Amino acid sequence: MEFSFSASATKILTTTGFSHLAIGDALMILVACLLIYLAIWKKFEPLLLLPIGFGCLLANIPMSMMANTDAGGLLNFFYQGVKHEVLPPLIFLGVGALTDFGPLLANPTTLLLGAAAQVGVYITLIGAVLLGFNMQEASAIGIIGGADGPTSIFIASKLAPHLLAPIAVAAYSYMALVPLIQPPIMKLFTTEQERKIKMEQLRPISQTVKILFPVVVTIVCCLMLPGVTPLLGMLMLGNLFRESGVTARLHETAETHLINIVTILLALAVGSSMTAESFLRIETLKIIVLGLLAFSFATAGGLIFGKIMCKATGGKVNPLIGSAGVSAVPMAARVSQKVGSDADSSNFLLMHAMGPNVAGVIGSAVAAGVFISLFGDVPPSEPHAAIADIVGTVEPGIRTAISQVAGIAAGSN
Amino acid sequence: MEASFLAAVKVSILAMVVIFTVLIILIFTIKLLVKLIPYVAPPPAPPRHQTVSATSSDQEEHIAAITATLAIHLGKSPSEFRIVNISQN
Repeated sequence: MEFSFSASATKILTTTGFSHLAIGDALMILVACLLIYLAIWKKFEPLLLLPIGFGCLLANIPMSMMANTDAGGLLNFFYQGVKHEVLPPLIFLGVGALTDFGPLLANPTTLLLGAAAQVGVYITLIGAVLLGFNMQEASAIGIIGGADGPTSIFIASKLAPHLLAPIAVAAYSYMALVPLIQPPIMKLFTTEQERKIKMEQLRPISQTVKILFPVVVTIVCCLMLPGVTPLLGMLMLGNLFRESGVTARLHETAETHLINIVTILLALAVGSSMTAESFLRIETLKIIVLGLLAFSFATAGGLIFGKIMCKATGGKVNPLIGSAGVSAVPMAARVSQKVGSDADSSNFLLMHAMGPNVAGVIGSAVAAGVFISLFGDVPPSEPHAAIADIVGTVEPGIRTAISQVAGIAAGSN
Repeated sequence: MEASFLAAVKVSILAMVVIFTVLIILIFTIKLLVKLIPYVAPPPAPPRHQTVSATSSDQEEHIAAITATLAIHLGKSPSEFRIVNISQN
């Protein structure tokens, strides 16, 4: 092979990332740097925004093969966990292991606050439709109002995968901004007297009830909305690890190492989907605005229902706990505590707000289940994702024959 | 799928009804569970601390020593506080 210095130098220059850097890539690198800045210096959900930002940085380096669409690239493998809905349910396993449903069990009517806060999801859905999104896209955008990152990613990957990046970034950014977004709305919708209401101490709950609760929720909710079983089932399994008392090692793993590892994979995968083609679009701006609306209306919905409960109970419920129904555990409950104690320093709402807060997790999962039931049409004969590629290569006639044989085999069992 | 304002409103109303229905079923289920399996306070644990089985004069000496040490540590006069009991693990 003949060596030419100038030809080799030219070849090296043409294979650098700089020579292929488009304006879109450069802008996305700036967006990545902004996310990293917000995570490290502004402490905006750093556990998520930092790896998301870095994943975005990697994905936008030309020729790095790190975008989610680069088949065979490292982050493409991680992205399979999002695409095939593996990672969000595993996050929910960890969340379940971390969550104490005791305050909810002690005051189960607070589940209604978790339901009322979902109104933000649906007002945003209507807004998204008015802005020109189709129903699946609008559903994926609306679920930002559930203030639950894994649920948002789960629904986006199922109903509108092309919008995954802006939806995930909007969801986590606004979750970080809950202490800034919620207090003005809380003060707008409540009076000084209402904010001063002190609630009765929660009654203790039997450990047996705490053990039975995840099993009962799984049976009731997953039978009603089977589409949400991956999320809710994992949430409740994690909680059963916690409450059963016989799986200490599994509980410890789920609430620490597992959730941390999966968070890294999930956030990098989401970051890898933030390419210029998918992110630098007018739809992203619309989603950012709609996400803010979703959080605001969800907070208002919880507060208004909190006021209704306050009136219905003769002033025994402080409406401020309604805002915690937006999920965002435990940040939203802390905000309720903070606003309550600002009105009266001897007012302790934290444990009372934890009830609607964890109810919000269940509420947003149920809202997701409704969307999957309505728009996530998956024919029963559709092969499982793990074998879809294999079955997909078979001739349609043979596929029909396989289905018939499978049906006969199932019938004979 | 075709999306219209009216369809979005219908979906929203339907979805909210489903959410409230599911969660109301859960509320009643939880209430039933709590009623069937009430909380029973655990029996009081046996006392882990035993009173020092020292003679009266030994205890007085201990109290005096501790009072003096505490008074120096807190910067207070020994008459400003009083030790009423001493126990050991």
